[in-house]
Amino acid sequence: MAHLSLEQLTFAYPDAASPAISAVSLAVEPGEFVVLCGPSGSGKSTLLRLLKREVSPGGRVSGAIALGGVPLQDWPARELAAQVGLVMQHPDNQLVVDTVEHELAFGMENFGLPRDAMRRRLAEMSGFFGLEPLLGRRTDELSGGQKQLVNLAAAIMLQPRVLLLDEPLAQLDPLAARELLGMIKRLNDEWGITVIMSEHRVDDLLPIADRVVRMERGRIVYNGDSRTFAREAWRRRDEHWDAWLPSVTRWALEHNAGELGRPPLTVKEARAWIVSEQASVRASASSVTHLSGGDSGQRQRAGVPLTRGDSDQWQSTEILLSKGDSDQWQHAEIPLTKGDNGHKAAGTPPILRADELFFAYDKKSPAVLRGLDWRIERGDWVALFGGNGSGKSTLLQLLAGLRDPLRGSVRLEGAPLARLKPRARFAAIGYLAQNPLLHYAHETLLADLTAAAARAGAANADQAARDIAGRFGLAELLRRHPHDLSGGEQQLGALAMTLLGQPQLLLLDEPTKGLDPYLKAALGAHLADIHRQGTTLLMATHDVEFAAAYANRCALLFHGEIVADGEPEPFFQGNVFYAPPIHRLIAGNGTTRQAAEVTPR
Amino acid sequence: MSEGFGFRSLHPTVVFVYYAGGITFGMLLFHPVLLAAAWLAAILVNVHLDGGREWRKWSIPMVAGFILILVTNPILSHRGRTVIAYWGDMPLTLESVVYGVTLAMSIVFVLTLFVSYRLVMTEQKFLFLFARVSPKVALVAMMAIGLVPRLRRRMGELMLVQRTRGVTVTEGPLAVRARNGARIVVTLLAWALEDALQTADSMQARGYGTGTRSSYFGYRFRARDGWTLGGLLFCAAGVVAAWGGGHGIMDIYPRLGSFRLSAGDVAAMVGYIGFLIMPLGLEWRDRRAWRILASNN
Repeated sequence: MAHLSLEQLTFAYPDAASPAISAVSLAVEPGEFVVLCGPSGSGKSTLLRLLKREVSPGGRVSGAIALGGVPLQDWPARELAAQVGLVMQHPDNQLVVDTVEHELAFGMENFGLPRDAMRRRLAEMSGFFGLEPLLGRRTDELSGGQKQLVNLAAAIMLQPRVLLLDEPLAQLDPLAARELLGMIKRLNDEWGITVIMSEHRVDDLLPIADRVVRMERGRIVYNGDSRTFAREAWRRRDEHWDAWLPSVTRWALEHNAGELGRPPLTVKEARAWIVSEQASVRASASSVTHLSGGDSGQRQRAGVPLTRGDSDQWQSTEILLSKGDSDQWQHAEIPLTKGDNGHKAAGTPPILRADELFFAYDKKSPAVLRGLDWRIERGDWVALFGGNGSGKSTLLQLLAGLRDPLRGSVRLEGAPLARLKPRARFAAIGYLAQNPLLHYAHETLLADLTAAAARAGAANADQAARDIAGRFGLAELLRRHPHDLSGGEQQLGALAMTLLGQPQLLLLDEPTKGLDPYLKAALGAHLADIHRQGTTLLMATHDVEFAAAYANRCALLFHGEIVADGEPEPFFQGNVFYAPPIHRLIAGNGTTRQAAEVTPR
Repeated sequence: MSEGFGFRSLHPTVVFVYYAGGITFGMLLFHPVLLAAAWLAAILVNVHLDGGREWRKWSIPMVAGFILILVTNPILSHRGRTVIAYWGDMPLTLESVVYGVTLAMSIVFVLTLFVSYRLVMTEQKFLFLFARVSPKVALVAMMAIGLVPRLRRRMGELMLVQRTRGVTVTEGPLAVRARNGARIVVTLLAWALEDALQTADSMQARGYGTGTRSSYFGYRFRARDGWTLGGLLFCAAGVVAAWGGGHGIMDIYPRLGSFRLSAGDVAAMVGYIGFLIMPLGLEWRDRRAWRILASNN
């Protein structure tokens, strides 16, 4: 008997015309790791909330949910709250009390556990989660990743059998996300906790999921294991599905025309696949014809690699890999090449130039920027990388003129920012904060857009607002309160507001954070459009693949200075961590080859 | 010095008794000599706790308050027989001057006690005491404490970003600034409410409201707490007895009495000073332990 079973579950919000969840049937076995995926607004969050009775939304429900064979509504309140743990998207809002230790104890207090039992469990769990050094800290001082770890531990404190996770990684940087995911995986592996998780980061999730459930418009459209999901997504030839494939998997499928029985899901598997393919190429010429003769007509790709039957397997690998790269970058459509920039730089000043920037938040804290020199040329689309707390956001704020450097200057086309009037400065340089909600100050999206248009000096502000909303596909949402928009919609709305000022330079702080793959592609297309029209873009990001797909220049911020700056390809080839998985495949092969050369066999 | 050392290691109940008694007696007893001694004792406690740093931070407002009371009392009150001077046709009496000094001393002394209160009675200790009276109110207080820094940070971010779209309180005509300020505050509040809904979900998800709560934070009542409490109660009994006998209070109005301390006054003072410096015994004891530890290494 299934642990958690849903039968013909249908749910509609009180004033909604169509149900948010319709006829969903699902059976989850104990200890399964289920990944819920699907576009934003497909009902993932609603479904998860229906599984957690305490936070179930109000509305019309039909069908049945049973936990351990007992209908959810028949469980006693206390036991049910302990059985099912929930971690949500925003790390901050889930923290209730002031210190980490008390936060972890909060759930146990609610259950009226005796003090000794609480102490013991807390001692054990904080050891498991590695939270001991943080116990005495105030929760508001923690990083996002630490906060989310505390939230996870606080849910686990009640020893649930089912853990529901509603996009827990969306607000985290990739490193923190991977750490948290590792912890979730450990809980699943070592303790057998059933995990149901909705998430957009497919690269990390598909390899570890036991089951993938894909939802669209409130219905389950796919329910099965990861590899079958990869094949199915490829077979559908639908961009909405395609976007959900890990890039390594997509690359492998592209190069083998979707014939793979076991598509590789990780870099490791992809490498093993390359080796085995090449072995088979060498073994029989017939397999070469099979490979090359595959369904080449199905997708326009410039030919299938491995046709030459190279004697040097690594050489052919590289041919094959570089093919993948050009696929990756084909939508970048870069109007200006780097050469043009260099040529221009000789005559006109760079659009933005930072000299000797030095910044610290206060006397006691270490300096964030330490004598940073940098130039942004007209037509650049720069991706700025850097670790957590490396000062990317601070640098962007300094470049936007939101903060003043302690020493040094920022010049916009040769004119010091400090001398420009705020109005002129903010009109020339658009800034999009990491949290798009910070840009809203009115009751509706329309009011916010209109205010932005009026400030930009539009003759008919209302019309201008409606026009840009139409351009960004937000026309339907104009009457909504900004807080009622999804993360992606908020991002697009804030971008639209910024663009109404027609900035020459647009600074974006983590624009892809929390976006599902399809929305990310949509955002990329909008940005590419703006870039084509002549806006210079600078984005601080952790999203290596997004940068690889769009940027024409990449830089790395470290110790308060720019330590690497260049065109994407050489930039990524020199990196191991800040590199898309495809490049990791290359880098890994290179070292393997070197290793093979020095190691006599 | 950290939590768990000296005075700070005491059980919240003992700390509460100490401050409740210290402040009550500070208001009951009214003798300039006695209060001056008590004030010195309170400063000594402050110096032991953090080298007097926190107290120095408050010293300027305290001195200002002291002078203010000192000056205003003789001006506003003309009671007393002994006129020392006239200001215009206003008599300044010796009695009201002395009364002012004593009153100022008593207030500054209580403030000094409060400064050390803030150092010793942490939020957690306070809430531990309070949670027994009303767990819900204690929880709300705890949440509010967590909320303030979050709101303040978000306010900063909001003001920074809203400047880019011209919503700012630092430029433009006053009316526009006021409107912008209001807009930022409204946005902040709407946001806080939105967040509060999620916090409520998070609380419910962890079983809040499913039955009686227990409290995680506990302080063990140790032997030193018992001894200290006993000592405090003993001293307090002495002070109360002396005060009940009419001692520890100087006759000021209508005619200034003598500054000399009677036997009863001395009893009250000894009891009170003993009460106030009782926790210093623990500070000394724990410091000696450190010194011995250090000299052994």
